[in-house]
Amino acid sequence: MTETISAAKNFQELIFCLEQFWAQQGCVILQPIDMEVGAGTFHPGTFLRSIGPENWKSAYVQPSRRPTDGRYGDNPNRLQHYYQFQVVMKPSPKDFQDLYLASLTKIGVNTSIHDIRFVEDNWESPTLGAWGLGWEVWLDGMEVSQFTYFQQAGGLECFPITGEITYGVERLAMYLQGKDNVFDLIWTEEEGKKISYGDVFHQNELEMSCFNFEHADIEFLTYSFDHCESQCNQLVACKLPLAAYEMVMKASHTFNLLDARKAISVNERQRYILRVRDLARAVAQGYLDSRAAKGFPLADKEILAKAEIGKGK
Amino acid sequence: MRDDLLIEIGLEEMPSSEVSHLSEAFSSGMCAALKKHSLSHTGITAYATPRRLALWIKSLQRQSPNKEQAVWGPSTDIAFNDNGMPTKAGLAFAKKNNLDIDNLRKFVQSDGKQEKLFFKQTIEGNYTQNVIENLINQVLSKLPIKKRMRWGKSKREFVRPIHWVVLVYGKEVLKKNILGIVSGVHSRGHRFHADNKIAIKSGSSYEQQLNQYYVVASIDERRRIISEGVERLASQFGGRAVIDESLIDEVVAITEWPVPILGHFDKEFLVVPDEALISAMKRHQKYFHIMNKQGRLMPAFITVANIDSTLADQVRTGNERVLRARLADAKFFFENDCKSSLETKRKKLSGVVYQARLGSLREKTERLVKLCQFLSEFVGSAPDLATRAAEICKADLVTDMVGEFEDLQGIMGGYYAQNDREHPSVVNAISEHYLPRFAGDKTPKSPEGMTLALADRLDTLVGIFIIGLQPSGSKDPFAIRRTCLGLLNIILENDIDIDLREAINFAGNLVSGPSESNHACELALTYTLERFVAIYKEKHIAIENFKAVAALGLANPLDINRRVLAISEFKKLGDAGALISANRRVMNILSGATFEEMVVDSKILLEPAEINLFKNLKQKGSIAQKLIAQKNYPTALMELASLRQPVDEFFEKVLVMAKESHLRENRLALLWQLSQVLRNVADFSLLTNADAD
Repeated sequence: MTETISAAKNFQELIFCLEQFWAQQGCVILQPIDMEVGAGTFHPGTFLRSIGPENWKSAYVQPSRRPTDGRYGDNPNRLQHYYQFQVVMKPSPKDFQDLYLASLTKIGVNTSIHDIRFVEDNWESPTLGAWGLGWEVWLDGMEVSQFTYFQQAGGLECFPITGEITYGVERLAMYLQGKDNVFDLIWTEEEGKKISYGDVFHQNELEMSCFNFEHADIEFLTYSFDHCESQCNQLVACKLPLAAYEMVMKASHTFNLLDARKAISVNERQRYILRVRDLARAVAQGYLDSRAAKGFPLADKEILAKAEIGKGK
Repeated sequence: MRDDLLIEIGLEEMPSSEVSHLSEAFSSGMCAALKKHSLSHTGITAYATPRRLALWIKSLQRQSPNKEQAVWGPSTDIAFNDNGMPTKAGLAFAKKNNLDIDNLRKFVQSDGKQEKLFFKQTIEGNYTQNVIENLINQVLSKLPIKKRMRWGKSKREFVRPIHWVVLVYGKEVLKKNILGIVSGVHSRGHRFHADNKIAIKSGSSYEQQLNQYYVVASIDERRRIISEGVERLASQFGGRAVIDESLIDEVVAITEWPVPILGHFDKEFLVVPDEALISAMKRHQKYFHIMNKQGRLMPAFITVANIDSTLADQVRTGNERVLRARLADAKFFFENDCKSSLETKRKKLSGVVYQARLGSLREKTERLVKLCQFLSEFVGSAPDLATRAAEICKADLVTDMVGEFEDLQGIMGGYYAQNDREHPSVVNAISEHYLPRFAGDKTPKSPEGMTLALADRLDTLVGIFIIGLQPSGSKDPFAIRRTCLGLLNIILENDIDIDLREAINFAGNLVSGPSESNHACELALTYTLERFVAIYKEKHIAIENFKAVAALGLANPLDINRRVLAISEFKKLGDAGALISANRRVMNILSGATFEEMVVDSKILLEPAEINLFKNLKQKGSIAQKLIAQKNYPTALMELASLRQPVDEFFEKVLVMAKESHLRENRLALLWQLSQVLRNVADFSLLTNADAD
């Protein structure tokens, strides 16, 4: 790409724009993880990289699946499959908020017209044993991003701290394009011929809502969850944390599908969450140990000296 | 020498609940720390916005006053030899303290016992600019931050990452290390209007300087701008803005340059109950809503932007779009929910677990039906209406609306019951049964509402105690404390005459058999009655008054409360103190005696004073007894107060511990009867003359 994009005219340009902006900040531009996940945070590029003393800067788009949010393509604001644009910087830079605001300007948000706020919103992922403090970012009253300083991941104290920005790509695009219905978003345009978000995804929303709510095989999913759990534990024991983590992602999505099928009672629900969390913790520790064995190649010496490796909570 | 000191801590946006809370703590913390260092000032003005905590400390002393300190040395017989010359010890003291050896005799003083070497040392006061760094850092590290965080590659913790610190003292800029940041002269303006560096001149110019850069530093001033602006916009629209205290607090804490903007929503949404629309506006979007003269919601809202936008219409349109999506959801939920009756929805409750060992929500409603049946008699409600309300009161928990707006539980149930054409009392009972929702909230007004509210709380309370998940220490996962306070307040505010032991046991039997629930029920009762302590603390009623009543083992909250209030009034009477002391004396004397029924033999009463006491006791005792039976405790206590005179006389003139055992026994019996008469109201031995805690 030789020409710099100045504003995001359509959906795909919004993603290009963000990728380009964060690439210029030195981020490793990753591709989405090729598995079903509920959020960009699940991508190993965020969850695993936030563990331990090593530096890391990365940005990527992540298709995110929330089976229970499916509305058969009928709701203008809710989707069971949507895009998050994820940025992580570790250690979080001092000008992290300013960089974020600069990225908004870059995609075409005029900050002297619009009302932009950082409103407290503390993030917690019970399944990942992770939490952080930060904000949701409001643009004229609409939540368009999530901004978090990770404090703990997989039950381990974070040091240095990972700063995470999650852009809701559809929401931002609806804002930029002035659309009230997500399916009306212009994905791309060529010589007056427009391809809408609906053209690309409406059928998918409808079919996947049917699958999530009506057809997903409960028996298989229940078995599958158990299997992922035991395989994960085996893989942790074999010191293969990356492979074990894939099992965590699978288990988590399987749980979400079972939830959408209403196959889990209120009490069981809590137990399932705790089971995934236990896996995430074991993997987090395993990953930390594996990086320690390699001498934390991406860590600064100064930080390495300050970090108390392996201290869990 | 004195000068104004300005401190400003600049940081990333603080949580809204922390802004004024931390500002006050910063101010009071600095005030205390300066006092501890003997540095006086003439007042502190605190400023706070989401991005800054600032203090203007006026006329702060540049140096704390010098202090004189006494330094004692060895006694003269050690410090001087027989010839009066300084010894080694004397010389050492002189050298250490830089005293003139030839005149060492001048440095002698008696400490009251013996003569010693002595001199007064002057300790120079601390310079403010030398101690201020430590002082500020200590105060900041002790701020009551609810959740501390770390950032970057620092191990430092604070409420949010810190970006700058301003420290200007008089005309001087202090360069100090405050939480890892080197302080200087530069503050910053509004994030979008004026993201420039501002060189702060002094504490007195701070507020005005920031104002030029679009920051209203004062919390009160922002509150004024917001409330005036919101009211003005609402009246221009032809209505009245509803300014909820907690909402304006929050809005004040998320703005530096507040600009109220009026937006509209479509009238079609007004078919949705007001509470749902207000919840969508207030809780999610932090908008103020507008009512017309008839008290109906108007189709508009006021948002407070944090920018004086160059195109305010775009901010308005954006907010309208967000709200439209939310209200469209609410309308869809409401209309969808109205398609089936609560009766139908109730069936789904079988599939919703209430608590692991307490069955489904459906089972809970079945228990509530029986409880309402039982309670109706005490509350004076219509049993068939109260039980009908109990059947369907939890059905709104499976509606879309309550799924989305949890705070509307009960309220939506009322609307849906109305939609189902249930009896108006059933509708009221359902919408009221979560009251009081928070401390100080109103209690249900309809008898059926009270009945259902009591039933719901009794079942929750007893159930949680039976499965052993009651509060312990600071842990109270099911908010049982609040449940109990609600229970007591409903009873007291509405004069419900009910024995709580009986009610709790009834509720316990519905959850599990008597053998299983008995112990838990007793614990639940004790725990509930202990909540009275909090109620009386708030009302500034001495806790001992309650303890004296509680010692009788009563379980009727209304009765307990009447007695406690009567005692509080009684203690204001002149005779009360003496009677309380006399009773304590009686209890001391009786402490060796048995507490079985003791009978006075009137024939062997000899002294006039004991005969008089006996007569008075008999007369007043029986009057008091009748009054107590009528629950007229204030008058009963007034009657008993008149016993003070005969009791005092008795102690003055009669020897209780007479040598003759029959006289002694008889007098002890007389005193025992006195104590029993008083005990009909409360255990007086637990009372002191203290008026309130």
